[in-house]
Amino acid sequence: MQMVKKILIALVLIWFAFIVLMPKQEIYYKLEKVLEKSEIKINEQKIDEGLFTLTLHNADIYVKGIKLATVEKVNFFTLLFYSNVNLDDLVLDDSLKSMAPTDIQNASASHIIVNPLSVSLSADGGFGSMDGYVKLADKTLRVDFNDSIGVKMLQPKLKQDEKGWYYETSF
Amino acid sequence: MKHLFKPQVFKTFLALLVLLLVIKTVWFVVEVLWLPAQGVDQVTKKGGKSLYYRVKLTPNKAAAPTTTVKAPVKPTGGSIKEIKLLAIYNASDVTVVTVEHKAKTKVLSRGDEINGFTLEGAGSNFATFSKSAKTYKVMLYKGKTSGKNKSSFTTVPSNSPSLPKRQGNKASGEVTDAGDHKVIDRSLLDHYAKNMDDIYKNIGISEVKNGNTLKGFRITFVRKDSPFAKLGVRRDDVIKSINGQEINSYNAAFGVYKNIQNVDNLTLVIQRGKEEMELEYEIN
Repeated sequence: MQMVKKILIALVLIWFAFIVLMPKQEIYYKLEKVLEKSEIKINEQKIDEGLFTLTLHNADIYVKGIKLATVEKVNFFTLLFYSNVNLDDLVLDDSLKSMAPTDIQNASASHIIVNPLSVSLSADGGFGSMDGYVKLADKTLRVDFNDSIGVKMLQPKLKQDEKGWYYETSF
Repeated sequence: MKHLFKPQVFKTFLALLVLLLVIKTVWFVVEVLWLPAQGVDQVTKKGGKSLYYRVKLTPNKAAAPTTTVKAPVKPTGGSIKEIKLLAIYNASDVTVVTVEHKAKTKVLSRGDEINGFTLEGAGSNFATFSKSAKTYKVMLYKGKTSGKNKSSFTTVPSNSPSLPKRQGNKASGEVTDAGDHKVIDRSLLDHYAKNMDDIYKNIGISEVKNGNTLKGFRITFVRKDSPFAKLGVRRDDVIKSINGQEINSYNAAFGVYKNIQNVDNLTLVIQRGKEEMELEYEIN
């Protein structure tokens, strides 16, 4: 029993040290390199590294050289078995206002190890709130909008079922 | 000899330090071998060439010089003779005409006013204007070959049955040919600026790359009878520049798209086969 306890403590310590000593900023740079292949670039003003988190401040998101969005705060959080990316105050470029809601107060994507092939999504903003998921195995994305009034501008791209309006695509 | 620490505590502490050192070393190796030391930033060009705009120095467009002499106040509106009818587009739901007034071309839809005259409707070769309860018929200008350099006009009874009824003010417009250049109705431009999806229903565009360098955008299709077909662009044309701005990046193309509502003229340089062409448009 004492041995099991020791092993457990050692595992917890290894897990803790593994996350705390993780070169988070360099891993983020690697993510930037991966995104660059899809012509997505992020210009951030400041990067803060925490024990379990990495926070980007005032990040501008460019797609194919076009500045499409500004996010006040992007927070990456990981415990390895649970990871989350949280975006605060995402403002899309004004030229996209006819295509998408330009002001998103909060958006997050979460991944949990018990469901490794799925990423859950949620967001709220001027359009109301939405929940969704990405199925990594099927390469599909579905987002359900909880407020039918706020999605009027998006309706041409949405489908409707008994739950309400939803957006579905594959990649 | 008395120990400062219990050997067991010391041993655990040492094991912990070794563990941290091992993990740190593993991460260090990963960092050195696979992780970049710097991120990727979007570099935006600063102090680049400003957009080139074609300026038409017409007398009525140019700013009047400051003068102390007070000109006598002219009555508003003028003569119907001053209006030259250049082109007509007449559909069931919309009527658009291009007229020239004081050396300036203007696109009018029903209800628009020029020189004090309001456009009421149009036939196949004439347009009707009204002013002070009178209706005037202006014939289509046929160029200098007709002998006279003016559109002919007649006064018609205001209750003429041939006049089309004014319809709802729909956001629409046309592209009309004004000889050396084409005239794009601003409402048409505004419509496409606000409805990007509608652009891709009418015209297909794909990138032209030389290695990793973007050289322009190729037109893959143009829908027949769409306003884009009337712009004079064809399938396989490569758009090289717009208003002097080289379209060698998505950002450049998007920059033009974002500012399209603020420009009065458009100059499009396209490559058609081996030939480079310049297409000129006036936005009215």
